[in-house]
Amino acid sequence: MIRDFNYLRASTVKEALDLLEQHKDDYKIICGGQSLLILMRQGLVAPEYLIDIKNIKGLNTINFDRKNGLRIGATTTHRAVEKSPLIKKHYSVLLDMEENLASIQTRNWGTVGGNLAHGDPAGDPGPVFIALNAAVKMANKERERTLPLEEFFIDYFETALEEGELLLEVQMPIPPPKTATVYEKFNIIKNELGIVSVAASITLDENGLSCKDARVVLGAAAPTPKRAKKAEQMLVGQTLDEKLLDKVSEKASQEADPIADIHATEAYRRSMVKALAGKMVKKAWEQAKTSA
Amino acid sequence: MKKTLLNITVNDETFELYIKPKKLLVEVLRDELGLTGTKRGCNTGACGACTVLLNGVTVKSCSVLAVQAEGAEVTTVEHLADGAKLSALQLSFLDQGAYQCGFCTSGMLMSATALLNEEPKPTREDIKEGIHGNICRCTGYNSIIRAIEAVAEGKYREKR
Amino acid sequence: MKKKYTVIDTPVHNIDGIAKVTGRAKYTFDVTLPNMLHGKILRSPHPHAKILNIDTSKAEALNGVKAVVTGKDTLGVKQGIWRRYKELCDEEILARSKVRYIGEPVAAVAAVDEDTAEEALDLIEVEYELLQGVFEPLEAIKEGAPQLHEHAERNINVTRHIEWGDVEKGFKKADYVREDWFRCSSQAHVCMETHGAVASFIPEGKLTVWTSTQSHYYIQVLLAGVLDLKENDIRVISRYTGGGFGSKFELDSAQFCSSLLSMKLCKPVKIILTREEEFMATKRRTPMFYYVRAGVKKDGTFLAKEARVFTEGGAYTAMGATALYLTGFFQTFPYVWPSYRYDGYRVYTNTAPTSAMRGFGAPQATFTAETQIDLIADELGIDPIEIRRKNGMYPGYEVPGQAYIQSCGLSQCLDKIEDWVKSRGKLPPNRGIGIAAYGFMSGGIFNWFDTPYAFSSALVQVNIDGKVDLYIGSQDMGQGSNTTMAMICAEELGVHVEDIRLHMGDTDKCPVDLGAWGSRETLMQGNAVKRAAAEAKRQIMEFAVAKMAPNIVYDLDIKDRWVHLIARPERGLSYYDVVKEAIRGKDGQPIIARGHYTPHRKGMISPAYSFGVQAVEAEVEPETGKITLKHCATAHDCGQVINPLGVKGQLEGAIAMAAGYGFTEDLPMDEGKILNPNLVDYKLLRATEMPETEVVEVETYEPEGPFGAKEAGEGLTNPTAGALSNAVYHATGVSIKDLPITPEKVLEALREKNEKKEK
Repeated sequence: MIRDFNYLRASTVKEALDLLEQHKDDYKIICGGQSLLILMRQGLVAPEYLIDIKNIKGLNTINFDRKNGLRIGATTTHRAVEKSPLIKKHYSVLLDMEENLASIQTRNWGTVGGNLAHGDPAGDPGPVFIALNAAVKMANKERERTLPLEEFFIDYFETALEEGELLLEVQMPIPPPKTATVYEKFNIIKNELGIVSVAASITLDENGLSCKDARVVLGAAAPTPKRAKKAEQMLVGQTLDEKLLDKVSEKASQEADPIADIHATEAYRRSMVKALAGKMVKKAWEQAKTSA
Repeated sequence: MKKTLLNITVNDETFELYIKPKKLLVEVLRDELGLTGTKRGCNTGACGACTVLLNGVTVKSCSVLAVQAEGAEVTTVEHLADGAKLSALQLSFLDQGAYQCGFCTSGMLMSATALLNEEPKPTREDIKEGIHGNICRCTGYNSIIRAIEAVAEGKYREKR
Repeated sequence: MKKKYTVIDTPVHNIDGIAKVTGRAKYTFDVTLPNMLHGKILRSPHPHAKILNIDTSKAEALNGVKAVVTGKDTLGVKQGIWRRYKELCDEEILARSKVRYIGEPVAAVAAVDEDTAEEALDLIEVEYELLQGVFEPLEAIKEGAPQLHEHAERNINVTRHIEWGDVEKGFKKADYVREDWFRCSSQAHVCMETHGAVASFIPEGKLTVWTSTQSHYYIQVLLAGVLDLKENDIRVISRYTGGGFGSKFELDSAQFCSSLLSMKLCKPVKIILTREEEFMATKRRTPMFYYVRAGVKKDGTFLAKEARVFTEGGAYTAMGATALYLTGFFQTFPYVWPSYRYDGYRVYTNTAPTSAMRGFGAPQATFTAETQIDLIADELGIDPIEIRRKNGMYPGYEVPGQAYIQSCGLSQCLDKIEDWVKSRGKLPPNRGIGIAAYGFMSGGIFNWFDTPYAFSSALVQVNIDGKVDLYIGSQDMGQGSNTTMAMICAEELGVHVEDIRLHMGDTDKCPVDLGAWGSRETLMQGNAVKRAAAEAKRQIMEFAVAKMAPNIVYDLDIKDRWVHLIARPERGLSYYDVVKEAIRGKDGQPIIARGHYTPHRKGMISPAYSFGVQAVEAEVEPETGKITLKHCATAHDCGQVINPLGVKGQLEGAIAMAAGYGFTEDLPMDEGKILNPNLVDYKLLRATEMPETEVVEVETYEPEGPFGAKEAGEGLTNPTAGALSNAVYHATGVSIKDLPITPEKVLEALREKNEKKEK
């Protein structure tokens, strides 16, 4: 049963920040509410005030330019990302990610910002955005701040968002030349939450031979989306062969910190991280070779 | 807790309702407006039986607060037929036997309708993806896929 | 070829179709009555505990609460469907002194709305004395294990023994003997409409209950028993039922609690179970630990089989006793085993009761038997189809002391599937095709319910305008029996389906039928309808004969609303005219006819059996163990097909459900608590996981069935898990004997296999 609450609708960012400030101790922000309403129905969340930001003007935009890269407003729906020609052209990995994120109904109403703010380590955007070196812009009544996304996630369902603070947008720089980013999740039923997922971003040198930079990000394999940094380091400066790939994926699986639940044991999650990490690094590497 | 005024257009009719903010869209449709064609099969936004169109796109009406549909246009299964004239998808569902117990059918038809609105020539994979969010425990889906394919292939064009 | 029939075997629209596609079909979930209250049920959070005290005063004081009931407000009747056996009627529904599973009802509230009722549940104070629980049958059967019921030592609820032939001698003669242990998991029915009821009691002493059920008759009788009312003072209405699959023919907590509350208040009370309650506290498929030992000759001839089963019964008998018998019986299906011995033990455990679910014990039997047969065939170097052909049942075979097989299309099904397998050619790596053969009953002969009525009855009334009122007791829960019955009636009477006005789902108006379970409707209700229609037709014919005055050696018939000489179809009269004359001739009375059916002298199990063979093509990803279904081809003998669209729908739907049983669905528990009671964590196949489905109908004629028809829906749940396990075996070389076949189990088995190889 959903407990009664006071409903407040904000139509501008300023209005929202005022409301957040005003009801600091007992509010929840709702946008798409695709995760929130489930928690409210289970009685796990019962705020006094529910502040609706879904209709704030200017927060559901997707912008891209050669200088600043990509900026996705927090209230942008998953479906809008999926259908954006800009995204398709410049960040096709996001299209792959969004198309498998959940059912169409959920993608139609659920938002990118809501997904991140929920802080579920099994969420899809987290690992992919981190692989794309994303940052998030947040604001409270006093100030704005920007934080690398990997620092945004603190623990299971816990983020860096402070009381009174609103997530405004996700920013992604233009990827360097010879870079490719890929993502895959492992699940039994398509589009459902991943048992584990891995995003990999590989930047090659100008000849397309050795690795200049690498990001390997694990989903549902730790309390937050997690970079397998040791595995990444093993790649930098190297050329790819099966032996390296094997070592890198083994390392990534060691860096994972998964739980056991009804869907998989810890050991199985580790072996899936291994299987996916190798596959993703290889795939990103191949694509990076041919990318501009 | 204060009730809120909700202005909503459902199946081309406008309503002014005074509701508790915690009311879900599905509850308003069923309990306030008597539109019981929209079903509810779970509490977790997983089954899709409550699918309706909100401003032309599908949502799970159990996972949307009614107050969030302020000013919106909602379409439910009751609005698919034009009087006695069934929609192409409804006819095709009949021809293919694309339902059994019928409890998921309303939501399934709404997803299928939105799919064909967005993509009149879907591939088989598009169709599977298009109804992925709707659980059917009876049919095994393939008859539903065939029904949507038949409409996409234009089999019901003359009948409209 | 000219079609033999004008109505049956032709695709027609389901007669409830337009109501369903327009959202007009009203389910129990949609029923609203004036002054209706909403009920909620408080359930035990403990798997095993004594109830010391229940204090409902705070809940009763809550604004908006109209009544609270507990076990003390009941008559304390222990009820069950096995009414012939008192000790098997062991469930009170509202527990009075002891709870035995998490989710067992202890109190119910009626209030002005659902939220108030739910709030009131939190205010009910139940004092429990916790008892030690036992959760696994192999633990519960041990000496000294906590005992659930006083009458059941070592928690043994029911035992079943089946035996024929000389088993010891059979094994002695065998060239090859193998034994395997299997674990068959549980499964939730997941009807899209959860259990629910709206009960309305009036001061005149009459109770009306709208409910989602597979048998309005059973619910009427069972309610009468627990409420101490006369059966016919209770009216049960169930026009549309949103899925059943075996979960909705026992009395449930929504029906009982809403009735109790309504009787207390004389106001309508509606209770709809939440999806979570549905998972935790309604019944589910019986988990089984299966030991199977089989002895065969070198050439693959079956000689002897021995099976032992321990089932997790859960807290109460439910329909579990039937599942225990049927799994033992179908363990041999569809083969000739010259000797067989089965011992089944149903063991009480502190878990949600296990009961009937589509297949009723047979899917477990078929999974274990078919998996083992492929292992035997592989060991002996015999083709999987060949070994099945060699030992398959055939028309006229008698299962010793158990059953007599009349029609049997098994060998034709094997031929068709062999062709299909060949047509697939050489498969890519990591792919395999597995087959499984199966059979199933067309309605049970059992009458543990102890009804004095015929198993099925129907009434036909032909009106002045030729329109036909058909009254049936069977329940359509989505399987399409309404359409099937209308088709049978129309065919027999020679009219069109549109001429039939169907009356069903209402105990006040309909003759008794035992309900939609055990695959009984097509054969049993179908026979009753056919007989009623035939009798109506005979009455019409009397007048036609008088009018046409043909040479008496000529026979008349009605087809397509045309009464005619069979030998000279052009010579005839309009059906409408004859009906009008006939009614005039009957002193203005419409033509009324009854028909009924009860099986007599048809063995222990069923009057007829369906057969089939299924092939599943699956791909296994070696790095992850993930299984992808590619194709599922089924050759199916359901006798004469009545409704082709319906049969295909049943087949595809069964595949989705049975494949889910095979590799995605499970109900993991911790100390009796189901860990995934929602549709996010309980993994059902979705459209994206469905394989391509190919169907070959093998038509036979079943002398006992209406127009030669047999069951066509439930048996199809039997083969898929076994065919899938065989497909995985042929793709990877590993055989998983523990359902569901998860990627994790496959990967682990592959790892073990590779380790062995390296050694």
